[in-house]
Amino acid sequence: MAVRFPGPAWLESLQEKLNADEKYSQTARNWEGDMAVVIEPSGPLVETLVYYFDLWHGRCRSVAVLDDSSTVKAAFVLKAPYDHLVKILKGELDPMTAMMTRKLQVQGNLGVMMRNVPTVLEFVRCAKENTGEIL
Amino acid sequence: MQPILKIDLTRGETAEISAPPEWERHYLGGASLAARLLYPELVPDLVPLSEAAPLMILTGPLTGTAGPTVGRFVVCGRSPATGLWAESNCGGFWGPELRFCGYDGLWLTGRADRPVYLWLADGRLEVRQAQAVWGQDTYAAQETIRTEIGVPNARVLTIGPAGENGVLFAGLFCDHGRTAGRTGLGAVMGAKNLKAIAVKGTGKIPLASPEAFASLRGTANRMLKADNIAQVTHALGTAGVADYADYLGSMPKKYYHQATMDGVDKISGATMTETILKGFSTCHGCVIACGRVVDLGDGIRRKGPEYETAVGFGPNLLNDDLAEIVRLNEICDRYGMDTISASNTIGLAYHLYEKGLLSEAEVGFPLAWGDTQAAGRLLDLIARREAIGAFMADGARRFGAHFGAEQEAVQVNGLEVAYHDPRGVSGMALVYATSPRGACHNRSDYFFVDWGQAETSLGLEFLDRLGGAEKAANVARHQDWRTVCDSLVLCLFGNLPVEMVVDLVNAACGFGLSVTGLLQSGERAWNLKRAINNRLGLTQVNDRLPKTLLEPYADGPAAGYVPPLEAMLAAYYEARGWDRRTGRPGREKLQALGLADVAGDLWESG
Repeated sequence: MAVRFPGPAWLESLQEKLNADEKYSQTARNWEGDMAVVIEPSGPLVETLVYYFDLWHGRCRSVAVLDDSSTVKAAFVLKAPYDHLVKILKGELDPMTAMMTRKLQVQGNLGVMMRNVPTVLEFVRCAKENTGEIL
Repeated sequence: MQPILKIDLTRGETAEISAPPEWERHYLGGASLAARLLYPELVPDLVPLSEAAPLMILTGPLTGTAGPTVGRFVVCGRSPATGLWAESNCGGFWGPELRFCGYDGLWLTGRADRPVYLWLADGRLEVRQAQAVWGQDTYAAQETIRTEIGVPNARVLTIGPAGENGVLFAGLFCDHGRTAGRTGLGAVMGAKNLKAIAVKGTGKIPLASPEAFASLRGTANRMLKADNIAQVTHALGTAGVADYADYLGSMPKKYYHQATMDGVDKISGATMTETILKGFSTCHGCVIACGRVVDLGDGIRRKGPEYETAVGFGPNLLNDDLAEIVRLNEICDRYGMDTISASNTIGLAYHLYEKGLLSEAEVGFPLAWGDTQAAGRLLDLIARREAIGAFMADGARRFGAHFGAEQEAVQVNGLEVAYHDPRGVSGMALVYATSPRGACHNRSDYFFVDWGQAETSLGLEFLDRLGGAEKAANVARHQDWRTVCDSLVLCLFGNLPVEMVVDLVNAACGFGLSVTGLLQSGERAWNLKRAINNRLGLTQVNDRLPKTLLEPYADGPAAGYVPPLEAMLAAYYEARGWDRRTGRPGREKLQALGLADVAGDLWESG
């Protein structure tokens, strides 16, 4: 079910989606590491949002909204302005293009990341399918 | 710009050459300016390994500044492998050091009557006897010459035994293992009896607006440090993309005949980082440091392989032993050979052997996929032009032809295909078919665009990586952009927006160029190189792919797909304004680009 982005309901719905999605589960079966998505202010968003995902072997064990991006300790951090993230969720901006053209920044163990690009792409697909109305 | 030092090795004479100011603006420098300067000389009866053949080494207007990824220079001439336009650029510190000497380039002509090397210290040139260093490998030669001239921090550009012996994929090497590898220009240098060029300068790089440039380059370097591609390239080397290339089906295996391979992840940049990596190496002024320093357990620090070498001596030969790739890479470096062409030609030997077109008696020993010891023996024979190596030293096309199997060679116009399979990233079909130097992956690294690096500021769209004719204009646009990079001699891993690059050029040169003007300089030089090749005999028939790349894989991520080359070429010619019948740039196109003299030569000669 598509849910309004952003908000706690979207985050919780995405957790359910990830845990129900067979392709994500299969692709991410070797993934170990939590991830934070830092959404920087742009467009209608005036304050930074940080969404946290505890991802482990194809499951999303928990999600949380973090208060302060400076305290994020996740193994992987994806950081992008709100407008760029919305374009990704709408399918107007390819996530690889965003990563390769300075629109979405990736932090973490890049060896693990490069081995698991398909997992990241499946995660983004689930996020897109989980997104309905947008702020 | 600073002058170019022209050196006649036959007569021992020198002259300082300055390019016309309008050429500086229209061609910027590097390979583009070299094409303009060499245009009158690159005619059909010029023999690439003759005394008359020119060898031009040029820097770009940013080379040696503190700007981003500006440590490179380019070597140009006529390729003995392809018979066409040749250019091959190289990183390290040699190019900046040449500019510190007060020269933006060297223009070598003639042939010394015995082996020599050049020693350029600021504006003072010495021609020194090289008998003692002739025959030494590239690593040893650099050390020997530095010791002989007594300047430990001089930079030495040298050939190895392969260049001396006329191997048609011999390169030029500096700063240990930095390489101008492709198109066989090391053999051109060897044919001039020129072993090496040592340089050491103390001058400053001229800048039109030093303060503006300093501010811009600081911003540019900070952008690069934060860039994802730069971070991957630093952390994992250029082989960091191997896992993704394999996932998309754009990494060929078993000489382009197999789409998948167990254990392929063992050769990736990630594995290298986790196992044998001990440090990094870098070029002048670069914040990326893509170079790898590895240790195989013997305490010796060696150069780690970049992507092409890792695949060429890895999955291309069905080898997943990273240490063996390091070893074969070092053999190539020491002999002074290009790893892409060497590994491709060896892959062809294994392929022909498997098909029964090459016998054990002809090789001298058996060839089995995955056998890296045999690959090492072949490298020895190639560098010395001994036994089967005498044929392999002429490259895949001629090697295949000698055994009646030219069609099995995965090459275009005599240059061996690099390891980005157009059956996984279709834009590379056009890139390989139309590159001015044969099957080159760098005159447009369009595989990056097919992976997603579609810069809207360049006018690029992100199109289906298994698409067809709809991406022809995109490819042409990207070729123009990369031709700009080749004129500035910028590293392709410096992932900066075009607006930043044009600002840097304007601050360095005082030009006032726009993005449109910058890209037009790329288009101009692309068409000029095409016209050079047309005059050397290239026609539309040469815009082709080897048959292997037009046969679909049975499995893997790109199974069943082949690029629709004919449709892509038709759209490409349209986008370029080229004549479909002859393969030449149209007269109007050349005139619009300010190449009326070239249009006259090309179209009035019939």
